Amino acid sequence: MGFEQIVFYIFSAILVFAAGMVISVRNPVFAALFLVLAFFTSAVIWILLEAEFLALTLVLVYVGAVMVLFLFVVMMLDINLAVLKRGFRRYLPVGFVVAFIMIVQLVLIVGPEQFGLDKVESPTPRAADYSNTEELGRVLYTVYVYPFEIASVILLVAIIAAIALTLRKRKHPRFMSPEQQIKVRREDRLRIVKMKSETKL
Amino acid sequence: MVENYLPILVFIVLGILFGIAPILAGYMMGPSKPDSVKLSPYECGFEAFEDARMKFDVRFYLVAILFIIFDLEIAFLFPWAVVLDEIGMFGLVAMAVFLGILVIGFIYEWKKGALEWE
Repeated sequence: MGFEQIVFYIFSAILVFAAGMVISVRNPVFAALFLVLAFFTSAVIWILLEAEFLALTLVLVYVGAVMVLFLFVVMMLDINLAVLKRGFRRYLPVGFVVAFIMIVQLVLIVGPEQFGLDKVESPTPRAADYSNTEELGRVLYTVYVYPFEIASVILLVAIIAAIALTLRKRKHPRFMSPEQQIKVRREDRLRIVKMKSETKL
Repeated sequence: MVENYLPILVFIVLGILFGIAPILAGYMMGPSKPDSVKLSPYECGFEAFEDARMKFDVRFYLVAILFIIFDLEIAFLFPWAVVLDEIGMFGLVAMAVFLGILVIGFIYEWKKGALEWE
């Protein structure tokens, strides 16, 4: 067993452990942190598959940004664990049925006969100066230019959807505009009213 | 190519060891006599009266999601910048269209006031 295989088995064991903890720990914040561990270990496995750019992007985008979002959502929802666990025993049989159906589907679609080194060859080892990023750039902006542009449209949709869903203006903003404060003239604030002096009856 | 990452693997292992060693040393060598009073949470001498975690404003979420979108845009720029002299004019125009579509979104969020913090 080569050194790479040992590294692969160690990190995939950590990955499976972290993925199991994500769905089994009680505290949702810990679940999010275990998801970070899962992302890191899958990045290592992608590097072993010679996909270095994707692995670094996984760390950059998922660990750096998506997890921050997940933590915000966990904080924002203020999950009450007692309420979440209330129907656990009642929904357990239904959950088992759904899980069983999903496992059967997974085995049928991506079962062992679809995998293995005879079906999917292991990546050819590259020289030390080989750049995966260059290889990706050569095809992404020429052969796959159409999906690339569609990606930007999807990002645009995400921007607009996020703003439409979450942007709420505060009714009485406490923000003061210095510009408007300076522009105030005496006439805007002060009104001198001329009136006759009252006479005693 | 994979052998380039050997130093990083060494760093990961060393980092984990350096992280675990002080905790383990403190755990094994320090005296530990916990009782219920020592372990109870307190704030400034009196009992804690609410959960330390509180709800976040939804606007943090908006800022985070806008950050992710532009983070992804940056991720697309890296391989483009590396091979720009090979893919030439076609690649330049492709990226210009990509950025142009995202600039529409950027103008939209600017005009909507999503970047302002009241």
